[in-house]
Amino acid sequence: MTDVIEVRGLVKRFGSVVAVGDLSFAIQSGTVTGFLGPNGAGKTTTLRALLGLVNPTSGTATVFGQPYRKLQDPSRRIGAALEASGFHPGRRAIDHLRIAALAAGIATARARGALAEVGMEPAAERRVGGFSLGMRQRLALAGALLGQPEVLVLDEPANGLDPEGIHWMRGFLRSYADQGGTVLISSHVLSEVAQTVDHVVIVAGGRLVASATLAELTDRTSGGTVRLRSEQAETLRDALVARGATAALADADAVVVTGSDARDVGRMVADTGVPVFEMTTDGSNLEDVFLQLTSSDVGQP
Amino acid sequence: MISLVRAEVLKLRTTRVFFGLCAAVAAFTILGVVAGILTAGNSGSPALGSAASARNIFGSGGTAGIFALVLGILAVTGEIRHGAITQTFLVTPRRPRVVVAKLIAMVVAAGALGLLASVITVAVAWPWLAAKDVGVSLLSSDVGAVMLLGIAGTALFGVIGVGVGALVRNQVAAIVGALVWEFVLENILVGVVPSVGKWLPGAAARGLTRETLQNGSLLPAWGAALVLVAYCLAFSIAGAQLLIRRDVT
Repeated sequence: MTDVIEVRGLVKRFGSVVAVGDLSFAIQSGTVTGFLGPNGAGKTTTLRALLGLVNPTSGTATVFGQPYRKLQDPSRRIGAALEASGFHPGRRAIDHLRIAALAAGIATARARGALAEVGMEPAAERRVGGFSLGMRQRLALAGALLGQPEVLVLDEPANGLDPEGIHWMRGFLRSYADQGGTVLISSHVLSEVAQTVDHVVIVAGGRLVASATLAELTDRTSGGTVRLRSEQAETLRDALVARGATAALADADAVVVTGSDARDVGRMVADTGVPVFEMTTDGSNLEDVFLQLTSSDVGQP
Repeated sequence: MISLVRAEVLKLRTTRVFFGLCAAVAAFTILGVVAGILTAGNSGSPALGSAASARNIFGSGGTAGIFALVLGILAVTGEIRHGAITQTFLVTPRRPRVVVAKLIAMVVAAGALGLLASVITVAVAWPWLAAKDVGVSLLSSDVGAVMLLGIAGTALFGVIGVGVGALVRNQVAAIVGALVWEFVLENILVGVVPSVGKWLPGAAARGLTRETLQNGSLLPAWGAALVLVAYCLAFSIAGAQLLIRRDVT
């Protein structure tokens, strides 16, 4: 696998503000990577430096081994959707794409195709000023898709999308990745992209705090909580405690077990013989790890 | 490069701004021609049939210059204001190419504003003057040359507008500043210190087309042309430097 995107020692200062401080990471071809961090972590600045919009104070950011500004035909190699507001409100959606196509040397007829790919064809002749944030996001994505690139860079694409839109975006990214595409997608909410990405690059305060596969990150959540519901909750709790688990009554019919993974809890429950009618692992643990990693006092090395 | 210029022209054609400015140019040109013909011979203005009067009437399209300036400013500051400049530089990361394409497109678009003004001027003035039995040759230097220079001056003002927009960046500030300069500050300077005032862009544009009107207080046409081209280069080069170097955030 080759590195499609490489950020090395990237530093960007705006006056006295350090937006990105010595950030390094690489994205391999064919992966879907979540670029995560709280607001103000330096995600957008990093992406803008990567795409030649912002001049790094020091360090480099390259795509296909060279600076974005040196790429021949960038639209055909890497598509980017950076912000939802980047349209003239008086211009029709289709014209916006035609302009981009013309400048990129792509047939302007492709504009309608790209709109169709994001489900926006019915709004082609409408002026962007009347669009919802979600529609702008889709139009920005259509712009990224114009040149049918092999790499997509999306900055907070789920912002402003309704649940149906987020569902659609997930499906879209999955099928794009299934066809071999590489995706770098930024978000400040891990759960938004957790179902879509296989890698995560987590930044906080302009610095890297984690670069791992989602599976590796999930491993760090072992020791999370498992919630059991039973008509004999107290009996169940006592039986589990007797077997060495940390269990507590959470409700009249619920027991919460902490510090054991779901597999072990399941075995113990079977061992107790107490009937259980519901068993859930607490999904927010991945989010807890994310919060731990990105909170300011833990982010320091 | 040609497709980049076409993309920039398409940008101008796909919002209502350009057509609104066309309408404004048409309205002001008609007003200028009508006023020019009706007032000719009254209160010191040259009588119909004189060369000075012909320049006065057929130079009415000179008002297109100010609208071209606004068009140039809007073309740049609009992109900055709405964040569309991000998309522009993503598609064409070699920024100097974008800037050159923008300037060429503006010569075309602002030139079109100037051409529109000339066409309207002729359409209104020619039959009217003919009806008044005032002979006018469109090929004379007082008519044809005045209009051609007017078109060129309008195109140059569009380019100056692109430079001003790139330098000021804020749309409202750039337009208000440019209009206050043209209509207030420059007029004051021209009135108070004509020896300095005639070198300013607005006065130079009038020098291009109406030199006989206020002979002596305006530069000769060739001098005015050189001065305008110099302003064009200065503003567009300074503005281009900023567009090329600045972070797009």
